[in-house]
Parts: sequence; C-alpha cells; structure tokens
Amino acid sequence: MTALGGLGTAVLLAPLLAPLLAGGAAAMVGWRRAVAWSAVAASVVILASGVLAAVATTDGSVLVVGDLLRADALTAVMLIVIGGVAVIATWSGVGYIDQELAAGHTDARGAGRYGLLVPMFLAAMVLAVLASNLGVLWASIEATTIVTAFLVGHRGGRKAVEATWKYVIICSVGIALAYLGTVLVYYSSQHSGMGSQGSLDWTVLVAHADRLDPGVMRVAFALLVLGFGTKAGLVPMHSWLPDAHSQAPAPVSALMSGVLLSVAVYALLRYRVIAVAALDPGFVRILLLTAALTSLALAASMLIAQRDYKRLLAYSSIEHMGLVVLGAAVGTPLAVAALLLHILGHGLAKSVLFCGSGQILALEGTTQISGVRGLLARRPVLAGTFALGLAALLGLPPFSLFVSELALARAAADAGLGWALAVALVLLLVVFVAIASHGAGMLFGRPPAVTAPPGAGPATAPVPTAAAVSSILTRTLVRPQALAPVRTAAGVAPLVTGLAVLAVLGVVAWPLDQLLRAAALIAGTP
Amino acid sequence: MSDGVFVQILDLVCGGLLLSGVLMLWRRELVAIVRLLVVQGVLLAALAVLLGVREQSVELYLVAVGVLILKAVVLPGVLHRVLRDSGDAREAAPLVNVTSSLLAAALLTLVAYAVSGPLVALAPSATTRALPVGLAVVLLGFFVLVTRRHALSQVVGFLLLDNGIAATAFLATSGVPLVVELGGSLDLLLLVLVLQVLAARMRLTFGRTDMDELQELRD
Amino acid sequence: MNLISVGLAVVAAAALVGATAGALAQARTRPLVAGAATAVVGLGGVLAGVAALGGQTWSLTIANLLPLAETTFAVDALSGAFLVLIGAVAITAGIYSVGYTSPGGAHATDEDDAAPGHDEVVAHDGVDAHDDVPGPAKAAASRTAQAVLPLFAAAMLLVPAAASVSTLLVLWELMALTSLVLVLAEHRLRRSVRDAGLWYAGMTHAGLVAIMLGLVVLAAGAGGESFAAMRAGSAGLSPATASCVFLLVFLGFGSKAGMVPLHVWLPRAHPEAPSHVSALMSAAMVTLGVYGIIRVGFDLLGGGDGWWWLVVLAVGAVSALYGVLQASVAADLKRLLAYSTTENVGLMLIGIGAAGVFAAEGNRVLAGLLLAAAVLHAVNHAAFKALLFFGAGSVLRSTGLRDLDRLGGLVSRMPVTTALFAVGALGAAGLPAGNGFVSEWLLLQGLIHSVTGATAPSVVVALSMPLAVAVVALTAGLGVATFVKAFGVGFLARPRSVAATGATESPLSMRVGMGLAAAACTVLALAPAVAGAPLGRLLDVLPSVRGGAPLARSDVSLRLAGIAGSMSPLLIVVGLLVAALGAAALVRRVTRGAPRRATPVWGGGSTRLSPRMEYTATSFAEPLTRVFDDVLRPEKDIDVTPFAESEFLIASISYRQRVPDRVEARLYPPLLAAVGRWGQWSRGIANGSVHRYLAYGFIGLLVVLVVVGITS
Repeated sequence: MTALGGLGTAVLLAPLLAPLLAGGAAAMVGWRRAVAWSAVAASVVILASGVLAAVATTDGSVLVVGDLLRADALTAVMLIVIGGVAVIATWSGVGYIDQELAAGHTDARGAGRYGLLVPMFLAAMVLAVLASNLGVLWASIEATTIVTAFLVGHRGGRKAVEATWKYVIICSVGIALAYLGTVLVYYSSQHSGMGSQGSLDWTVLVAHADRLDPGVMRVAFALLVLGFGTKAGLVPMHSWLPDAHSQAPAPVSALMSGVLLSVAVYALLRYRVIAVAALDPGFVRILLLTAALTSLALAASMLIAQRDYKRLLAYSSIEHMGLVVLGAAVGTPLAVAALLLHILGHGLAKSVLFCGSGQILALEGTTQISGVRGLLARRPVLAGTFALGLAALLGLPPFSLFVSELALARAAADAGLGWALAVALVLLLVVFVAIASHGAGMLFGRPPAVTAPPGAGPATAPVPTAAAVSSILTRTLVRPQALAPVRTAAGVAPLVTGLAVLAVLGVVAWPLDQLLRAAALIAGTP
Repeated sequence: MSDGVFVQILDLVCGGLLLSGVLMLWRRELVAIVRLLVVQGVLLAALAVLLGVREQSVELYLVAVGVLILKAVVLPGVLHRVLRDSGDAREAAPLVNVTSSLLAAALLTLVAYAVSGPLVALAPSATTRALPVGLAVVLLGFFVLVTRRHALSQVVGFLLLDNGIAATAFLATSGVPLVVELGGSLDLLLLVLVLQVLAARMRLTFGRTDMDELQELRD
Repeated sequence: MNLISVGLAVVAAAALVGATAGALAQARTRPLVAGAATAVVGLGGVLAGVAALGGQTWSLTIANLLPLAETTFAVDALSGAFLVLIGAVAITAGIYSVGYTSPGGAHATDEDDAAPGHDEVVAHDGVDAHDDVPGPAKAAASRTAQAVLPLFAAAMLLVPAAASVSTLLVLWELMALTSLVLVLAEHRLRRSVRDAGLWYAGMTHAGLVAIMLGLVVLAAGAGGESFAAMRAGSAGLSPATASCVFLLVFLGFGSKAGMVPLHVWLPRAHPEAPSHVSALMSAAMVTLGVYGIIRVGFDLLGGGDGWWWLVVLAVGAVSALYGVLQASVAADLKRLLAYSTTENVGLMLIGIGAAGVFAAEGNRVLAGLLLAAAVLHAVNHAAFKALLFFGAGSVLRSTGLRDLDRLGGLVSRMPVTTALFAVGALGAAGLPAGNGFVSEWLLLQGLIHSVTGATAPSVVVALSMPLAVAVVALTAGLGVATFVKAFGVGFLARPRSVAATGATESPLSMRVGMGLAAAACTVLALAPAVAGAPLGRLLDVLPSVRGGAPLARSDVSLRLAGIAGSMSPLLIVVGLLVAALGAAALVRRVTRGAPRRATPVWGGGSTRLSPRMEYTATSFAEPLTRVFDDVLRPEKDIDVTPFAESEFLIASISYRQRVPDRVEARLYPPLLAAVGRWGQWSRGIANGSVHRYLAYGFIGLLVVLVVVGITS
C-alpha cells in the first residue's frame, strides 16, 4: 500500500473540492456563463483524477488520505464513470439551461438553484466512491436524495411536484432500509473478534469477513440489496425511476441514470465482497439473481407498450442495471470486469440519449412517442446522434455495450448459469424489439405535413433552435442572466463526443482493460 | 444500576415504543398522531440515556440529547407546520381499515420476532432480546406509509420507520459511530424539511393532500 | 508473404478508406468512390480466398483489441470458399452500384406503383407523394448509404475469417448493423421500408441471441472461446449440452440463411433494399448462415449425432418446397427472387443435412460428395442470384416497377439486360446449360447413390433419402416454372404499362457488373471441374468428411470419385447448340424458296388485341395456385358494384388476389399479439399510486425477511 505522497492526496481531494467550489460559485453569483462552465470544469477535474488514480492503482496499490478517503482500482473506475457522464451532462446542461431561460420555463432563481445543486450532487457521489467507511458511503448516497429532490422538481408544475414527492418518499424508505442493513453489519462486526468497538471500514470488514456471524449478515445483506437496490432501480422499489426521469431536466436525468444508479451498484459490489466471505455464496448469488431477473422482466414488460420516450429511457436504465446485477450475481472476475465496463458504457450512452431527448423535447414540445415523427428527415444531425445512441443502448457494435454484454454472457456460461443467461437474453430480445420499434416510429419515415419551420437545411448548417423558439415567444419576464440562444451544433457536440468515446471503448481494449481487470480482482470472487 | 431495574426499565421503554407505534395505527386525528411521535422521541432518548448509564458512555448521553431535540422537538414542530398549512384535522379513511391494520400490526410483530432470531442469538443479553421491538416498529412504519393517505401520515410513517431503525441501532450496537449518527441525523432533518416544503407545494399545486389521488404520472 | 493476410489487409484498408471517402465526397463522385471501394474490398476477399483454397492457411491473434475478449482470426479452405464467394459478389455489386446510384432513371412516384397488389389502404401522412421525396437512386446514393456499403462488404468478408466467439459475434453484429442501415436507405419513399427494417432487425437480433447462447455454452463447456480451444474441448461436452448447442446455433444461423419458418424477414427486407444491397444480402449474406452451420456442426462439434442432421435435412426440404412454391406464385419480381433464395438455401441444407447423416454413419465418400454439392450450390446460387437481382434492379431503375404483371416487352428496349437476365434465369431454373444444374446434379447423385450404392443403407437413410430426392425433383420442376414466368412474362412479349414502354437500357457500369456475374455463371456452368480441387481441400479441413476428393479426375466431364457417375455440361451444351443450329439450318433450307405473306393473326373474332391481354405473371401461376391451394390458401376478393337504379346492371367489378405467406400468418401474429397483450396488461403495474409502489417494496421486504427467516 503506497500513498504516493502529495500527488495521491491531491488526486483524492481534487474531485471533492472542485465541484464544491463550482457549487459555491453558483450559490454566490447565480447562473452565469462562467458558473455554467465551472461545473463542466469540475467534471473534467473528476475525470482527470479518475484517470490519475487509475494509473496509480492498476498495479494493485491503494491511495489513502487518513482514515476517511481511499482509492483502489475499483474507485478509479467509478471516478472515471462519474467524471465521464458528468462531463457530457454538464456540457449539455449549459445549453439546456440557456434554452430554458430563453423560453421562459425557468427563472434566475431556478437556474441558480440548478447551478448549485448539480455540483453538490457530483460532490456527494464522489464522496461515496472515495469513502473508506461504509457509513460515510451510506450518508453520501442518502444526501443525494435531498440534493436531487429539487432538481427533479426543477420545472415546476403538477407532474414535477408529483414526481418529486414519489421520488423522495420511495428513495428515503429504501435508504432507510440500507441504513438498517448497515447497522446490522456494524453489529456483527462488533462480535467478530476485532474488539467490542466494531468497525465500518471496508478494508477491516473484508479482513474479518469470515468471522462475521452468518445469521445476522443474511438479514443485513438482504436489507442492503433492497435498500441500495432502490437507488439502483431494482425491483421492487424501482417505481420512482420512470417518474423522476421523465420529469427532471434532461441533464439531471442523465446524471441520475449514469451516475446515481452506478454508484448504488458500486455500493452493492463493495458489500458483496464482504457477504460472499461471510455467508454461503449460493445465498448471495440467488438473492442478486432474483433482483436482476425480476428487474429485467419488469423493464421488458413496461417497454412493450410504452408511450413516453423519456419513460422508455428510464425503463431501459432499469433493464441495464438488472443486467449489471446479473453480472454481480455471477461474481467471477470476468463478470465484474464486464459489468464495470457495462456501467461505464451505459452511463455514457444514457447521458447521450437523455441530453438528446431534452433537445427533442425542446423541438417538439411533447414527450409522447406518437408526437414525434420523421425526425431523421427534419433534423438529421440530432436524429442521427439519437439513432446512434439507441444503437449503442441496444447493444450493437462498435459501441462498448456489445462487448460488455458478450463478456457477461461468457462469464455467466462459465459459471454454470446458462439458464439465467437464456432468460436474460430472451428478455433483452423483447426489449430490443420494443425500443427499436418505438425509436423507428420516431425517426424514420416522412415528416408530418404540418410542422414548425422546415428550414433544417443541409446537415452542416447549425440552426439555432432556441433562437427560433425565442422568436416565437415574446420576452416579457426579463431574466437578468438571459444568455444568447444555443446553436444546434453546440448542442450536439457533447452527444457526438460521448458516442465517439463509446465507439473507441468498444473497439480498443487498452488502456481500460488492465484497469478493469485490476478492479475485478478486488470485487470479484473466482 | 442493578440488572433487574435495568431490565425492567428497558422493557418498559421498548414496550412504550411498540405501543405508541400501534396506537398510531389506531388514531385518526392528525394532532394525536404527531403527539405520539413526540412520545416516541422521548422514549428513544430515554433508551439512549439508559444505555449510556449502563455502558458509562458520555457519547450516548450526547446522542440522547440530540435525539431528544431532534425527534421530540424539532421534527414534530415541522410537522405541526405542515398540519397548519394543510388545514385538515383528521386523516381520511385509510386504505386498510383500522381493525385490519391492528391485525396486521400483530402479524408484523410476529414476523419481526421470527426474523430477529439470529440477531439475538449473536450476543444474547437483555438489550439484544429487545431487538424485535425495533424491527417491529420499522415494519409498522412501513405499513403506515403504505396504507395512509394524507401527506403528513406518509411523513409520520417514514419517521416511525426511522425511529425503529434508531431503536434497533441503540439496542444492538449501543449506537453507531458518531460520524454516522451525525450524518444520519442531519440527513433526516434535511429530509423532513424537504418533505415539508414539498407538502406545501403540493397543497398549492393540487389543493389537497390525499396522496392516493396523485396519479397523473402513469404508464 | 502470405497472400491471405495481404488480401484481408486490403479488405480492411479499402473499407475504412472507402467509408471515409464516401462520407466526405461530393454527390457527383460519391457513387464512383463507394462502388470502387466495394469492388476493391471484394478483390481483396477473392485474393485471400483463392490463396486459402490453394492450400495456404493463416492465423492471427491481436492482443488489446476488443476489450475482455480474444481477437483471433484464422483462414482455412472452408473460410476460403466463402471468401471467394462473397468477394466475387462484392466486386460485381460494387461495379453495379456505380451506375445504380448515379442520378437518372425513373422515380418511384407512388407507394403503390413499385410493388403490386397492395390491398391495404396506405396513409400518406398528409404529404403528397411527389413533394420533396427523393427517388430510389437518390435515396440509395445518400451519404450514409454510400459510406456504409464498403463496410458491409468488409464485415461480411471478415466473418469467415473469425476464429473466436467474440470476434465472430462482433463482426456478425457489425454485418447486421450495416445491412440494416442499407435496407433502410429508402425509408422516406415507402412506409413498407420501415416495417421491413423492423422485421429484419428483430429477427436478426433473435438469431444473434440464439447463436450467442449456443456458442457461449460451447465455449464454457470446452474451456476457451477460441475456435481451436472449442475444437479440442468439444469432445468433453455431454450429449445433451452438445445437442442444445447445435440446435441453438442451427436456429440462429438458419434464421440468417432464411430457412422456414424463420424466413419471414427475407421477402420483406430484400425487396425494400436498394438492388445492389439486395444482391449482396441474398447472394452473399445468407450463405454466411450456411457457413456457420458447417463450421460449428462439422468442425467445432466434430460431426455430432446423426439426428441433428436429419433435422437439418427436414428443415431444408420444407424450406426448399415452400420457397419455390411461394416464388412460383409471386408477382413482385424481387419478392420472387427472395423466395427463390429460401428455396436454394433449402437445397443447400438438404445437402448439408444428408452429408451430416452419412458422416455420422462413417460413409465419407457420400458425405464428402454431398457437402461439396452444397457448397458448390452456394457458389452457383451466389452467381445467378446476384445476376438476377442486378437485372431486377436495372428494370426497377429504368421503369420504376417491380410488378411482373405490368412489365413486359423489355427485350427490345433493354436487350443487354434481358440477355444477361436470361443467363441468370437459366442458372436458377436448374436446366442443363445453367450453373444451378451442376450442383443440383451432384446433390441428386449423392442422394440417389445412398440407396443404390454398394453398402446396404440403414433404415433412417432408406426412409429419408428417397423423400429428399422427391423434394429436390419437385423443387427443380417448380423452379423451372418460376423462372420461365419471371423471364418470359417480365421481359418478353409486349409492354403492359406506360412505364414499361418507356424503358431504356442501363448505364455501362451496371451492364459491366451484370456481365461479370454472367461470365461467372457461364464458367461455373460449362467448366465446373475448376472447383474440384478446392472442394477437396475444403473437405480436408473437416475431420468427419476428410479424405474424399469428390470431383477427382474431372476435366471436361465431371467424374465422381468413389461412386459411378459422370456428366459433361460442356458436351451437353455443345450438343444442344449443334442441334439447335442444325435445326435452324434445316428450316432455313426448306423454306428458302417459299413465298412469304404478311397477315393478321386470328384473335378470337376481334382484331383489337392489346398487350393487356397477354399472360401476366398472376395468370401464368394460376394453375399452380389451384393445384397447391391447400398450402398457399390464396385470398380472393371480388367486389361487384351495380348501378344505383338496378342491381342487375353492373357498373364495375374489382378483383383482388393475394397469396399470403401462410407459415408467417400462422406463427407470428399470435406471438406478436400475445406479447402486445402482455405489454398492455403490464401498464397497470405503474398506475401512479404511490401507495401501490410502496406496497411493492413492503411485500418484497416481507417476502425476503420471511425467506431469510425460514432458511436460516
């Protein structure tokens, strides 16, 4: 275990401080262009520290800051996930909020609150993955419920308030159950031979895992799967997901789907390592398999007759998390490496799709699938990125979700779970056909005769959609921070970047391969 | 204090916790329900004090004070504000009628006892033998959440759930590390404040606080 | 220097360069760039394939490509055969596409014009069909379609070169994705394109699921995901697992090949795609399904049980019969060709299935002969099917029509196309001067000799092979009828519509492409012995059929090794030509001095003959429809509208006939309806009540706690 001195400390502290600073700036100054870009800068800092941590920990070493913060290869992967998704979401958010201000959907206070809460959310997520104490992990995931509550309700109005209430209630209940599970883990650690002062430090628990009482740990692990599974969108406490994602602003949905769900699964992974040593591994596997397969089945069922494209993306997140937890149930190093790659790929793809859907919403004014027709003919660039995003989400090469699903399949077959794999693949086929047919309805065909200005023109000329909208609506409530309308090319840039990264990840193994294998050694059990 | 007295007071406190939880299922006046919550907060603080005396731990005394302030004063105060805003005095008919609720409460207590077997077996003592009460209160809180319509009742149910977890934590582990306790309490406070704001906004937007009628977001 | 590696490097490089160039080029030069790139890709494939068939082998493992997977390539003679096949089709398709995607030609003006017999009312989404909608040439020439074309060809070429599960599946899916993009090229023209794309995407993915499951289980059981590891370790699989693997793989690859009942995407996707894409898909892509079955069944699983191959044989027989039957009554030229693909795939599967049965019994001679026949049929099919689709594309570009009922009279207006189409039709019909005849003859020889050969046949063989012979014979007969209809009704006689009257010959590049394909057909028809040695080397790759050189000692005649049989297509053709010339000379001499007189022909009492009174495709096939109406169940709709004043005076009669795909109608709508009902019912799960959502969690918690409590 090396500490790499000052650089190690910087790598661990920078991703915490950067978003806090960005949030502080927003709190003091309100929504400004510089503030908006500072959030993007904070995300880049998180990504960069993730990369640096990866470089440092691929060989198995660990970075620490005192007793509080700790980074191993698994943490580095999660930092990269958080950073990558955050870059796309915050970059897209710059234009998004400007569009909202111009269109009058929000005011300066709302924009300022957005600018404060998003970096706070990022800070909480980073703290969760950097924490070495499982209690701090729990507390930071709990904190995100509070932070995102007002982000979900950003738009205001009946549906947003309803979504916020359901989100807060269901997630709080889930997190409370996770808290009970944490308490029980602490209880069993007190009687496991490390003295009456038990511990919630993950390394200590892993070292003493075989002496933890199986009976208590069973109840604890079951509660933890239910509790953190709520935040991960697993059945049975998944119902907040579609409501929250459909009402939240698009970049926030991207962050929730890409970051929040991933960190919840990360928590499950950490606990799984302890549980597998303390309990009968078969029990752990069956519990996780049940959660995974029921979530997949639910997602497939709800996608068939889906009418709202944002809810469609939300249920797709449930489906992918089900797949990831299936990998966790298998638990071998190949499975864990595959599921980590899948978390990264899903986060990027989902953020591209949600940010794209935000622009489609701004264009069409409806989230109903039947209300969007012939998008490829009208807005080739936006529709093209959305189509490629859907292709990535459905697991088509060259995007990385295909290789991660393939590796998961191989790992499941190697572990003798061929039947579970067969069920999962059939459900994925149902999901594929459902999403493909809904997407095809939106994208292909001739555009309807009566539409907004058809001046899409050639694909390369950026059409300022926000300008078009603002020319239609009158500017009455003057917002002091009303910024220039966003051009389509700028709006699509983060999406294209995300897709390009996904394609590269899907084809080139280096350098992520080594990092994934190192992380898999930590979280996987052969 | 002697073992016998300790056990008796412990059983009294735990019994009070369970009873107040069951009573919340029985009463329909919202003011009465909030008052029962205050009682629970006091009992929880008493539990912490009791354990502090037993363990000779100053930390537990501090935690007891914190619990008292938070759960017996601040949170009920916030709830009273919600109550004032909503203007309803009585909870509407619950989704499961009172008789069935009480039966369910009995069943849930039995389940709690059944599940706590291994928990008690790990370190049998008078304190841990009372663990099932904590779990029972958790399940009762969840039940209230599922079956009561009013927004306030949902918050109360959540607080009941949290009280049960706190009781379990005290009984099993004599409290969690201070950091986690502080973090948890802060989160709880913020959460309830958020819920209060939301409830107010709900009242403004929808004009009612019957959660079961909020079904605009659906598939 | 290993020629195979050179060829594959050319494939990869040309594809990437061509894709980039096609995406960036101006509209004027885009067809040339994309077509040339595709042709170069094909050339690389042919080079690699010829080298492999000549005995070279090559393998390559790339570390650090494809995360979490092993990237391995390996080329042997089996891969080589398919490399040559696909490469050749790609060359011709590339050259053809230069002309096809150039501007010019008729525009498909209305959704109902191109394809016949739409009896559903098609909504136009409120837009007049002539507004701002590009014609087929412009749609197929879009930036996306042109850039993806060389990528599609390259993906197809790399699939036979893959040597690990991950590599194979990644390339397989890339091939599926690129072909889907190409199928959807004309999505703005017709609504049916989008539906075709959806069916294609769904069934391809279903096939992928089956293949992935089978191969992954095989890799797990054999202890490694590379083909070498699976080859070595497959003997250790339990029979049940091996059978499961084979059936899954058979289903998956078979759905790509287009076997019944998984063929339903073929008659939808192939007609809707641009014609050069249809040719690539029908001629080249479906054979990759056949390749997969051979590779996994004969090579990786080492031959397997006899009953597996009986299943293959049975499915092949059903596909052959059903395909040719549907083709014989189809009036849409491209749909006819698509069903003909199903028929030919059925014939290939009959050959493969019979080969497998004999290999399992140890009869290497017959097994080798039948497998060689199947592979040779794949090559022949590629040649004539590509040519036929090119011809159909020429007709479509020139007239805007695919409906045989409205074509006709093209022989004088498009002579080169007609002549070349005739060559292809001859091959597809399986008549002696065509290349289809050679492989069908080989197939029949193998099947017949199984029962009349030296050794006494087993019960299974004695029962199944005569049935197979009967199926092949019936298929061949119906095939002749089909292609006589396609060629005669579509190209000869007088034009039956305005569009057909205005047909003009295709541009030079299209003619060159067709000519190359026709040349390949002719060579394969007249000198099939060139395929003898390569086929022998192919068989040597597979352990269960190794050692037989089926066409040894063949030159002008085909002589079969190990059984008695020989045939000389060249001599047959020469004989036919001599006979025909002799008859023509005799007729000329006899009638030399006779007077000539021009007079109108008896027309049944009326001299007002119009081209509309000719035999159409529907009327030509009417006897077949009647004979086979139990299988086909045609739907007839007669609508009689009398005058308002009296119901005995008829104002108009409208007659509509449709032959649905009965297999599809029986299987798919109930399944889709059930899934739809499941989806509608599930909507109630998220009914909006927060109490219900919390109840889900509560019940989940209780269940988990009780289970934990009980089991601890």
